[in-house]
Amino acid sequence: MREQAEGSWLAARNPTVKLALLLAVSTAVLFLFDPLPLLVLYAAALAAVRFATRIPWRALLAAQLPFVLFAVGILIVNALSRPGEQAFDAPVRVTVEGLVVGAALAMRALLIGLGAIAFWASTPAREMMISAVQHARLPPRYAYALLAGQRALESMPRTWSTIRAAQSVRAPLGRGGRPKAGASAFTRAAFALLVGAIRSSERIALALESRGLGDGRRTVWRPVPLGRRDAVLVAAVTCGFAAIIGVWLVVVPPMG
Amino acid sequence: MTAPHPVVRAHRLSARFAGGGGVGPLDLEIAPGESILVLGPSGCGKSTLLRLLQGAIPRVLPAAVTGSALVDARDALTSPAAGLADIVGVVAQDPDTGVCLPDVEDEVAFPLENLAVDPTLIGERVDRALESVGALGLRGRDTSTLSGGEAQRVALAAATVTHPRVLLLDEPTAMLDADGMQVVRRALDDLRSATGAASVLVEHRLDEFGDAALPSRWVVLGRDGRMLFDGDPADMDAPIARRLLEEGCWLPLEIELLALTGIRGGLDDDRVAAHVRALSMADEDADSAPVSDSAVLRARGLEIAPGASKRRSSKRPAPVLSGVDIELRAGEIVALVGANGGGKSSLLHCLAGVARPSAGAVTGPRPGLVFQNPEHQFSAHTVREEVAHGLVPGSLAQVDAMLDRFDLLPLAERNPYTLSGGQKRRLSLAAMLVHDRPFLLADEPGFGLDRRSAVVAMRALRDAARDGRGILFSSHDLRAVAAYADRVVVIADGGVAADTTPGRLLRDAPLLRRARLHPPRLLQWLAAQTTRDDELQAILARLDDVVLEARAQVMAP
Repeated sequence: MREQAEGSWLAARNPTVKLALLLAVSTAVLFLFDPLPLLVLYAAALAAVRFATRIPWRALLAAQLPFVLFAVGILIVNALSRPGEQAFDAPVRVTVEGLVVGAALAMRALLIGLGAIAFWASTPAREMMISAVQHARLPPRYAYALLAGQRALESMPRTWSTIRAAQSVRAPLGRGGRPKAGASAFTRAAFALLVGAIRSSERIALALESRGLGDGRRTVWRPVPLGRRDAVLVAAVTCGFAAIIGVWLVVVPPMG
Repeated sequence: MTAPHPVVRAHRLSARFAGGGGVGPLDLEIAPGESILVLGPSGCGKSTLLRLLQGAIPRVLPAAVTGSALVDARDALTSPAAGLADIVGVVAQDPDTGVCLPDVEDEVAFPLENLAVDPTLIGERVDRALESVGALGLRGRDTSTLSGGEAQRVALAAATVTHPRVLLLDEPTAMLDADGMQVVRRALDDLRSATGAASVLVEHRLDEFGDAALPSRWVVLGRDGRMLFDGDPADMDAPIARRLLEEGCWLPLEIELLALTGIRGGLDDDRVAAHVRALSMADEDADSAPVSDSAVLRARGLEIAPGASKRRSSKRPAPVLSGVDIELRAGEIVALVGANGGGKSSLLHCLAGVARPSAGAVTGPRPGLVFQNPEHQFSAHTVREEVAHGLVPGSLAQVDAMLDRFDLLPLAERNPYTLSGGQKRRLSLAAMLVHDRPFLLADEPGFGLDRRSAVVAMRALRDAARDGRGILFSSHDLRAVAAYADRVVVIADGGVAADTTPGRLLRDAPLLRRARLHPPRLLQWLAAQTTRDDELQAILARLDDVVLEARAQVMAP
């Protein structure tokens, strides 16, 4: 998905701005308890993300599957457990309040999930960290350690499968002729992975320091730009959000 | 001996770690632009010396330090964090952790940014640094896609982009295959002449280093971390050479032969050559086990896909290996050779049943497999439990017999992770052999070991073959392959390029080129001098005996 978003309009925007907007929107929707405006917000965001990142619909929808499952869970729990007026005749008691609040919470989860996907897909780790140093005043020592750590993290799944394979060689065979793998084998492999990770993190720390990463003044060769188009992004998101909420406040009379 | 203003000046310098190990006390002066080679047995403190000069000990890695170390008149022992980065460049052994950032250009620019160099000047310097190691073509690449040799060249560029006065190189080619080794060593050569920086090189596999590429001043450390020799290797005498051999060091051929014969000059000297040729007569008791057909491990039409075998992808990537037919019989020892990334490890994993081939089948009894990194296989908290792991309870006698055979009894209660590299390898072999499987596969059993440990590991495999097991091992070390393998399976161009004998492989120049193999000088010479494989193997086995015998003599009194 990252490859698909590469070179898109959103990928060229400043990561710190994107992250701040994501946080702002996520915070703002915490104050909305009505599913309808959230649904409209979500639909608008989905279209915007589709065209700003150029991720095909299919991939974009597939990436949201975990959030959809999570949202359905929220809806069901609320519908069944929230006290209130029974919604319809059913073997289990489903309340109107439960459905409304559950749907609102579910939409909220979907909206935040979509934002997170858009941010992740359109923001390479390097740009994020360098922008965080430039524009969010993250100390370079942390930023570059995180960046190097992220690189080490990416190799972990491969190491993990090597360790699991290495340990399964001596494991007794199960009924199907495959090596048995129990919880204790899992723990042992996790321990081996941890030991390796600690060792390599020490080496990485030493390498970063030997290249002069310290607390002193430093320059940035290829800074991450922060410009007018980032202001356009902020304006678009803010105005879109305000417009949808405003219309809803005017057109739909407040409940109660 | 050195110029009036040495760039490195260490006086009575020593470091001792709380857990044991350390270096010194020693005195060392290095003139500007001078190159030195530091060598000694594993555990003698070579890396510790580099970390002292880099300013990492005692500040980052705590140790009890005495004496003084000045680098370009700055105190290395009390330098603040990153305080020597403008005058010292460092290249470490592991390409995975030596390159830190996701992007090649950022990686090389990073040291300059940290020194607050004007950003408008950085691009030009990054290009020049990459160019000086022949890596300009890697600009714009993602570092996670680099091969080991490429990554080490990027690390070299990052270490020299600041124009340091001292370059510290800690086994920069130890984890590379023959191809990677060659390009990095060529880059090192060019750099040494181009940058004018003094360099301190720690190297392990000196026998594979081209003679011309080695610095002309050697500093030799003994097992106790003290200096045994400091000077031109041409002045090294036979007892020092012999001691290095005894302590398990890999040596350039000429020095190894000096230790053996007491005569300088290497194979070009007739007396030395005669001595080496005569070794084939000395050993006649090599009773290779009869190869039997009673048990066979057989692979038919194997095809191996890249990456994890369970990856679901609509477009299937081209296989790493295809059409592989291999047979391994009880009692024989077979080597698997070929360049990195050619699929040797994947093939071993498929044969062992821990990975699934994308096509084809493996038949035969379940083999054991010893992984390249012994730590990946460790499952227990003591050496004894490690060997007992996976056995039925009550196998203690069997376990202790195996520990004894691999000289591990004194270490039985130690944690496997605290062992040395050679001890870890012996443990992983013992833990696999105790399972009594008819076939044993080993992925780079000599990798990263000193000479003595590598010989011990290869002998263990040979003994297992003599006990009637079938052994298949992969290796970059052609000397070990030539010395111990009955057969060699050569992997190249996505398949089995040849199934031959070591002697025939060494004499087949087109095949060597195709498989990107570079036999060291000794093997080239032996291939020309001998006609039969058993002759060749007898000489190599005798040369390995010397390493073990010398040790026995040292330990006897």
